[in-house]
Amino acid sequence: MRVRQAVLAAGIGLVASALPAIAHHSFSAEFDAAKSISLQGVVTKLDWMNPHIWVYLDTKDESGAVGHWQCEGGPPNVLTRQGWSKDSLKVGDQVTIDGFRAKDGTNTCNARSVKLPSGKSVFAGSAEDGGPSKRAPAQ
Amino acid sequence: MSIRILSLAANAALLLAVASLGPTVAFGQASRAVSAPAPRTPDGKPDLSGLWQRPYVPDMTKTNKDQSQIGTPELPFTEAGLKAWKSYDPTNGDYTGSCLPFGLMRSMNSPDPIQIMQSPKYVALLYEQNTWFHVIPIDTQHHKGATPTWFGDSVGHWDGDTLVVDTVNFNGRTRLDTIGHPHSDAMHVIERFTRTDPTHIAYEVTIDDPKTFTKQWTNKRTFTLRTDWEIMEYSCEENNKDLYEGHIKAPPLP
Repeated sequence: MRVRQAVLAAGIGLVASALPAIAHHSFSAEFDAAKSISLQGVVTKLDWMNPHIWVYLDTKDESGAVGHWQCEGGPPNVLTRQGWSKDSLKVGDQVTIDGFRAKDGTNTCNARSVKLPSGKSVFAGSAEDGGPSKRAPAQ
Repeated sequence: MSIRILSLAANAALLLAVASLGPTVAFGQASRAVSAPAPRTPDGKPDLSGLWQRPYVPDMTKTNKDQSQIGTPELPFTEAGLKAWKSYDPTNGDYTGSCLPFGLMRSMNSPDPIQIMQSPKYVALLYEQNTWFHVIPIDTQHHKGATPTWFGDSVGHWDGDTLVVDTVNFNGRTRLDTIGHPHSDAMHVIERFTRTDPTHIAYEVTIDDPKTFTKQWTNKRTFTLRTDWEIMEYSCEENNKDLYEGHIKAPPLP
């Protein structure tokens, strides 16, 4: 498991950072669309509550050091209407989360996709909030 | 790079992002018009009742690919309006992140459904977003001297088969949409609801705000009846970690 972080090209970042995003609040009020991140780890907790679900996961870097992350997902009402539930992801599940880091530098991210090792996406549709797509908006 | 240029770039990117979402979620049932007359209430008015799915409108200048939302591409800003738009930075505090009331327009622009309830004297809009509501008295006058509010003071009347809602007396603490288009406390909003067939409402809103815009402008969209949905509870304060943990700022008090 590893943490990989990529800073996108400045042009893409500037475009994305001005995107309006989340129904609850503006994406750019909290997250940096110029700092995409891909996290692989084990789910330790799931908050299925308004205004957004949160997925907590532990990652390990190359040296074996554990990182604790929390990633914001879509609103539970939207996800429920798409057929997802609090049981769609379980503690102990291995996941890959692609998203964007919080501007404040904490281990907080906005999840644009959550995938199981099988490749199956969980909570698909979070992009409906109008934020950047899984990695970066198309140019 | 100026915010204006950023905004233009963002608009282009947003169009791409919206286009990439596909029709399955937001407008899954929006395109099938039913060729039957719209239902009516016992008093003969068009019946707007029901739970309505609406296109998410994070930017009122945009037009959706499927025409379910038609915006005004270039807003006619006054000098003060342009200054308010260019200086907006949500990093300094987007009030909705604090679960403060979205206000009328941002509630109408939210992606969650609304339930409309109707009687001869009142029409009530129940917003799933944050479980808010707004009551529109029919055939009355605006309150005089009332304290300005987030949702404003609305009165409605029927113009033929269209419900016209006229709203004034806003507190000026809200934004029109998620991207943050501004308005002032002088805003006057005119909304028109027309149930065009059993499963659709044509919605048109006119923004009249002489402090912010040199002339009126409009935005149109289509609401779709969802008999397979029920309105759900939405408590914004329930787990607002963004604010509680300091990842976002609360907006300054006026």
